[in-house]
Amino acid sequence: MLKPLGNINKTDPAELTKLKKRTGVAAVIVLGVVTILVFWLWHLQIHQGDEFLQRSENNRIRVLQLAAPRGDLLDRNGEIIITNRPRFNVIWVRENASHPDEVIKQLANLIDLDISTLLDRIRTGADQPRFIPIRLKEDIDWPTLVRIENNSFNLPGVQVEVQPIRNYLHGNLASHLIGYLGEISRQELNKRRGDGYLMGDLIGKKGIERVFESYLRGERGRRYIEVDVRGFTQKQLQVIEPLPGNDLQLSLDLDVQKAAEESLKGQAGAVVVMEVNSGRLLALASAPHLPLEKFIDGISSSAWQALLADQRAPLLNKPVQGQYAPGSTFKIITAIAALEEGVIAPETTFACGGSILFGGRRYHCWRPEGHGNVDLIKAMAVSCSVYFYQVGQLLGVDTIARYARKLGLGRRTGVILENERAGLVPTAAWKLQRHREPWQDGETMSMAIGQGFNLSTPLQIARMTAAVANGGRLYRPMLVTAVRDPDGNIIHEFSPKLEEEIKSIRPQTWQLLRESLEAAVMREQATGRAARLKGVAVAGKTGTAQVVGRALIKDLEKDEIPRHLRNHAWFTAYAPAEAPEVVVTVLVEHGGGGGSVAAPIARDVLASYFRQKTRFTDHPLPTN
Amino acid sequence: MLHFDRRLWRNFEWVMLGAVLIVTLLGLINLYSSSFTRVSYGTSVFIKQTYYCLMGFGIISIIILLDYKILSRWSYPLYAMIISMLLATLIIGDTVAGAQRWLDLGFFRLQPSEPAKLILIITLARLYSRKDTSAGLSFKELLIPIGLTGIPFVLITKQPDLGTAILLGLIFVSMILFVKLKWSTLAALTGIALFLAPLAWRFALRPYQRQRILTLFNAGNDPLGTGFHIAQSKIAVGSGSIFGKGYLQGTQAHLDFLPERHTDFAFSVWAEEWGFIGSIFFLACYFFIVLWGMNIARSARDKFGVLLAFGIASLFFWQGFINIGMVLGLLPVVGMPLPLFSYGGSSLVTMLAGIGILMSIRMRRFMT
Repeated sequence: MLKPLGNINKTDPAELTKLKKRTGVAAVIVLGVVTILVFWLWHLQIHQGDEFLQRSENNRIRVLQLAAPRGDLLDRNGEIIITNRPRFNVIWVRENASHPDEVIKQLANLIDLDISTLLDRIRTGADQPRFIPIRLKEDIDWPTLVRIENNSFNLPGVQVEVQPIRNYLHGNLASHLIGYLGEISRQELNKRRGDGYLMGDLIGKKGIERVFESYLRGERGRRYIEVDVRGFTQKQLQVIEPLPGNDLQLSLDLDVQKAAEESLKGQAGAVVVMEVNSGRLLALASAPHLPLEKFIDGISSSAWQALLADQRAPLLNKPVQGQYAPGSTFKIITAIAALEEGVIAPETTFACGGSILFGGRRYHCWRPEGHGNVDLIKAMAVSCSVYFYQVGQLLGVDTIARYARKLGLGRRTGVILENERAGLVPTAAWKLQRHREPWQDGETMSMAIGQGFNLSTPLQIARMTAAVANGGRLYRPMLVTAVRDPDGNIIHEFSPKLEEEIKSIRPQTWQLLRESLEAAVMREQATGRAARLKGVAVAGKTGTAQVVGRALIKDLEKDEIPRHLRNHAWFTAYAPAEAPEVVVTVLVEHGGGGGSVAAPIARDVLASYFRQKTRFTDHPLPTN
Repeated sequence: MLHFDRRLWRNFEWVMLGAVLIVTLLGLINLYSSSFTRVSYGTSVFIKQTYYCLMGFGIISIIILLDYKILSRWSYPLYAMIISMLLATLIIGDTVAGAQRWLDLGFFRLQPSEPAKLILIITLARLYSRKDTSAGLSFKELLIPIGLTGIPFVLITKQPDLGTAILLGLIFVSMILFVKLKWSTLAALTGIALFLAPLAWRFALRPYQRQRILTLFNAGNDPLGTGFHIAQSKIAVGSGSIFGKGYLQGTQAHLDFLPERHTDFAFSVWAEEWGFIGSIFFLACYFFIVLWGMNIARSARDKFGVLLAFGIASLFFWQGFINIGMVLGLLPVVGMPLPLFSYGGSSLVTMLAGIGILMSIRMRRFMT
């Protein structure tokens, strides 16, 4: 209970009475206003009621939505990757729910569509509000268009709309990156309420089309037409032209992208091409590609099922969503860890006899006869696993894991694409938690050569390679460099983002790693020698990631092994070795050996990069 | 404070509650129709409004238990709170259709300009209830109330929400006229207003707002531009004729000719579907609330109660008049919901809270 409120009125009763009397005046004013409103209602509804009723029945102003052309995607030299083309659709602006049979028949005839399909379309569309026209047929050709225009006096309510649709100038090039459009879903409509989307609108569903939807979409226009009772257009009242979307300039290089996809043809896999000193992606290829044309009007469910069922996983954007054991490319990490932790010196040698016995189990090198005495550079050059087994034992799982994470493995690179995967860098604690079993020393052996639980995306491996090339700088991989308005003016520019500079690793370690990677391509017995280019020194590392234990397939000839049991082929490289500019990382799923399958692909891609470069500078032409 | 007197039950304010229930129910019935489209989110808007109704009536039942005198004590804290919320709206508020009016409270997106109207009335009532005003207000005595009105006025104009800002002005004018002005003050104010009007026209109004006022005088000339909405609204109302087109049958509404048909233009949906008869019934119920509010002011036990009740009744009056006048093409288009009838949680809850205050004043008219 609060204390009672005191009397707050200092007014004498006489004033209060006067004040109260004024409410009478107010009431009179209120009644006056009500009288005016009633009079005006009478005027509108009774005096002019019939006239307005007539007008509401003749109120046949129809609004046709005009879709805006989406922005183009350009490559880094300003060449158009995708743009739009106009498409003519037959639509029906309804006046009432019934549809005269004759009109339907004639229309079916004119647009060469059987009557039942046409009626199906009308039935589906009838669920929508009447002010939304029903689309009867998409993409009619010129003769059909002319036929419809000539017969328009027999076709009340039938109109032809012009709709801009995507024009994929280079077919399915960079299909995963570009992504596709689809009809907006109810959830999306709900989530983006207030952004002016309507049912039936197209919206980016995947890739850049999705991520940069708000830049690309533009603003719809409207056409107001007045139609008569039967639906014939009386006159066009007003047109608000649509505003095209903004163009995106990508860091991609069309020629390099083409070369990457060309060399992956027939395979499943990924190619990443990235600038060493900026993180700009020059190519990001994923094979097999997406059939972009099939998505334009919504992919059929059978085609979709086929994509889902395909073992080569065409729906996956492999450079960022594919996770693979990094294989021997991971030896870069093991080597850095060993040098930094001081467990080896550059000249420390181990003897390789083709295998090593540990804990009662035999661990094999890829070369049965062994490599003899190997030091670090040779171990990298010939990819000697016995060397790295022993180094790995000296380091232990958690130390290796620490360096792996330092170089960006096991975490997302932050590239602006959806569903990027983080890969996996195992630790002892992780295993205990995940598998409820302690870490086995034997597993450290596998880890040291990039097998076992290790998982990486090709983009992570590319970034790791770039960090070796540039001395420890991790850039955020970048795809879009600028947004331009339809007139070509830059309205937004993205600059490279240096995410991290690894300062704790000594310069001489980076230097030694670069030497060993160069050796891994340029030396006599180097596993990566297939990546050599004339005129440009290449540095790189092969990797052959086992998919199953070798015991399972050891008795089979190479081409007898079923595809899904074959090894993944890796090659990650940069060039020129003395002044690195560009990183190329190749992964071929179940492709076989990294040196024989992936390295030649990297060579072709590098060749196209340097060829492309000489178009703008005066370098001598390198050839394969 | 919460001490419950049996006299409160005996004096329970059934009349106001009944009238308000009818108008709110008509609003819900109409909302169902205006948001009813086979592809739209009709039910969800309808259900939301039903929740707001329950919330509002819950607030009424709390307010009638309180002695309204407590509001006199709370007026300045409330005022400070609403000003900070208006500021917050400008800084961190949500933008919808270019206007920054909403403050996200997590469970509720509040439009602080709505309660601001009520709180301004409380503050002004408190101010004048403590003064002897029998001689009429001098110009100097107006300075503080002008300031108190001016701050929220400017903040709300910035959002921009011209309709609510105008309402604040009208509340202020109604209340000072009611309290009584000296003749000299009235003359001075009129002079200032006449002087400022052309300046406001030139500088304070945005081009689209000027256009809306101009449109009023030649709505027919430009059926697709600014005049489109008014013309379509008039067609909707007019075509309702005597008996209306029938519930859920309004072609103007359902063919999407009416803008904002569940908020500002809710009444044209009603008039189209229920005709002259239905419109008159609605006007009768609605303006009965205003008149009964005036009656509550006349019967209040003290000056604070009289001023408070008058202020709230005049709020209902102005908002009803301006909204319906706009829908009928008598007044320019300003964004203003029809109290208790249009869709909108902040507006509904605020107006029901106002009704609660009126009921509280009425139920305590014999107590001292």
